[in-house]
Amino acid sequence: MNKLKNALWSARNAVKGFFGRIRDFLVDHKLGFLVNWPRWFKAVVYLSPAMILLGIFTFYPIVNAFRLVVYEGYNSADGSITGYTLFGNFINVITEDNFIIPSSHTQSSVMINTLVIVFVSVPLSMIIALLIATALNSIKPLKGFFQTVYFLPYVTNAITIGLVFAYMFRSGSAGLVNKMLGVFGVDPVIWVERGATYWKAMFVLILYGIWAALAFKIMVFLTSIQGIDKQYYQAAAIDGTPKSRIFSKITVPLISPMIFYILITSVIGAFKTYNSVIAIFGNTGTPAGATYTLKTIVFYIYDYLNNATPGNLSLAAASSIVLFAIILLLTLVQMQVGKKRVHY
Amino acid sequence: MKNQLFAKTNRLEWITVGIDLLFVILYIVGFLYFFGIVELPMLNDTTIDLANLDQNYVYQTFLGELESPQLNGIISLLVIFMTVSVPLLVIHFKKVKNIIIYEVSPGFAATKFFYGVINLLSLNPFSAALRFYNTFVALQLAKGYGFKGFLKSIGPWLKKVTAKKVQEEDNEDDEDTLLLKKNIRRQTAVHATRMTLTYFFLIVMAVFIIIPFYWMIVTSLKDFYDSTVNPNPSIFIGLQDMQWVNYKAVLQELNFGVYIKNTLIVAFFSTIGTIITTIFASYAFAKLEFKGRETIFSIMIMTMMIPGELYIITNFITVSKNGFGWIGGGAVTDTYFLAMIVPFMTSISYIFFLRQNFKQIPESLYKAARVDGCSDFKYLTRVMIPIASPTIFTITILNVIGSWNAFIWPRLITAVGGTEGQNYWLISVALRDANFNLPGGDRIMYNLQIAASALVTVPLILVFFTFRKYIMNGIGRSGTKG
Repeated sequence: MNKLKNALWSARNAVKGFFGRIRDFLVDHKLGFLVNWPRWFKAVVYLSPAMILLGIFTFYPIVNAFRLVVYEGYNSADGSITGYTLFGNFINVITEDNFIIPSSHTQSSVMINTLVIVFVSVPLSMIIALLIATALNSIKPLKGFFQTVYFLPYVTNAITIGLVFAYMFRSGSAGLVNKMLGVFGVDPVIWVERGATYWKAMFVLILYGIWAALAFKIMVFLTSIQGIDKQYYQAAAIDGTPKSRIFSKITVPLISPMIFYILITSVIGAFKTYNSVIAIFGNTGTPAGATYTLKTIVFYIYDYLNNATPGNLSLAAASSIVLFAIILLLTLVQMQVGKKRVHY
Repeated sequence: MKNQLFAKTNRLEWITVGIDLLFVILYIVGFLYFFGIVELPMLNDTTIDLANLDQNYVYQTFLGELESPQLNGIISLLVIFMTVSVPLLVIHFKKVKNIIIYEVSPGFAATKFFYGVINLLSLNPFSAALRFYNTFVALQLAKGYGFKGFLKSIGPWLKKVTAKKVQEEDNEDDEDTLLLKKNIRRQTAVHATRMTLTYFFLIVMAVFIIIPFYWMIVTSLKDFYDSTVNPNPSIFIGLQDMQWVNYKAVLQELNFGVYIKNTLIVAFFSTIGTIITTIFASYAFAKLEFKGRETIFSIMIMTMMIPGELYIITNFITVSKNGFGWIGGGAVTDTYFLAMIVPFMTSISYIFFLRQNFKQIPESLYKAARVDGCSDFKYLTRVMIPIASPTIFTITILNVIGSWNAFIWPRLITAVGGTEGQNYWLISVALRDANFNLPGGDRIMYNLQIAASALVTVPLILVFFTFRKYIMNGIGRSGTKG
């Protein structure tokens, strides 16, 4: 064993000495820069794996999206185009049926759907998450257990639970929700299948959105509530302040920067709703036989991508730039408000 | 004396953990054996009767002849044992590895007793006996008395509890004290009501969160009739009625075994790639000084704002025939795995996260190492990575979970090339796009679809329970969505 060790060591020293000799030789002959790399070169070596990948799959696509958007009739199969246009693709997207304006009064548009999801599911999930976080903060026994349970949806697969939700809301047979409602004497309701009305289908979608979004928000809110200085609460307790006032005058204002940050990120997240729609309603993005659509903006973008007609990629790029513009606007608002820090 | 006792409980605990491990292996082997002999009913020589999976068979096992319900019961028990004992094993192992003498308290001993009961329930008498014995060793260490002393201490404790109540019935008070007492009683009542309401609210919300999981597990073990046709589905399910054959049908007949293998391949390689590129890049951003470091970093942070859809359009062109030609070139040249792995071998948010962690490591350490002639690479591998290993581990777990859940990109990629692409489906894609319809009909076999969903979810939940701390810390600290 020792012999082996010695042999290894001497081999190692021999290799080291050999390289050392090469180094000395190079330095003597003014070729030192070959072995004594400058710092920036080292940085390049360390950064290159990540940077090459990011360059190909992140930075180039951003540039390319703006290139695609000025092409007319771009054919991805052979790379040919029929012409250039500055705003043509944007105009095509915006004026297309069901993007912003519904094509008929029974219809809905992807913009309306997305906005409904944003304006209903985000505030609701924020409020519920805030209440749960406050309640969690006020208890001691079973706190860890509840925390774990509430965090579960975060690690699950969006498609899986979407399928389960669709199954739970089945109407004909084997539907759990209708069975539960039946206990209270409510007649079976058609939620997500043929014959479901827009708002019932939307209800399921929003409920699923809330279910999936709670975990992250509760987690963040709880962390920031725990970070509040206990002195405020002690002072309020001495004054005999009621709990509701403590909540509205101490807890909420003190974590308002976090609330605002979460608000913006969840609005952005809600704008990007896609998985839940496809999980619950399938590739058509709507209940079978319905005259309306439940597609969202992102759904719309992937529709273009899946359908490889020439010119569609440009339209996809145009609509994703529209989405990006919305997100950019929201982020700017967040930065402006965040700077002022008006939370008391 | 104390040190000896501590060493004793530790040695005992190590032995117990060893036995636990043995039993976990036993459970797994048993499960694999019994699950392996579950028979899929055949319609004829080649097709499986998917609509009537719940047929009764007689199996020859080493336990003698077993009928289907008995076999199902055994498998159910083994699965329950596994789901309880595997996370517990990891927890015990971590605890016994890191324990210090000051942690030994009466509460610590009580938890040991509790785990002993769990061991007993999972048919592991050896661990249970050792744990019970160890409880009293720990008690001796914490309180100074063993089993006999414990029995003796019960009496005085009971007396103390009962004595308190007697004391409360005090003699007469003056008016002020009475008023005060009344107030205190009212406040206690208010507090109790508030606590009840709080717990009620929390429990209701927890049920709301749990129901989909519960319904998924229950449905995945039902037969076709109860899951799809029955207008009044049963809410509970007995151990013997659990149709484990559903899982077998999903794995073998609906090819989910292949899809899981694909997903694991993609998860493994993309995670390794991500870890390597992330470590090097965040080291460069945290410790190396070069021109434009902050500029490049802020540009990277800014791109986090851009929606993924914008990249996907171009990336799709990049990997297809006109770009790298990984997909869409026909059966011979298609390399779906490359297309699914390479774009996800790095991540800006993880670079950001790890850089923050690297930056916290004191600069003086770096200077000292440099003075001693330590190269940057050596410093990175010998100092930085060990210090930041919890963060790197968190990134690993989050990335594996992310690849396990990947849907949009793999779906887009494997949609190219028809059935050829279907061989490379990842599980989420297969869940959405695989055909769960009853052969020759358009009715969805929900028991199988939901069983496939459970197959996707259960490993995730197990990983979550085992590494809960890492995952929750990672998300809490980075404050970003994965």
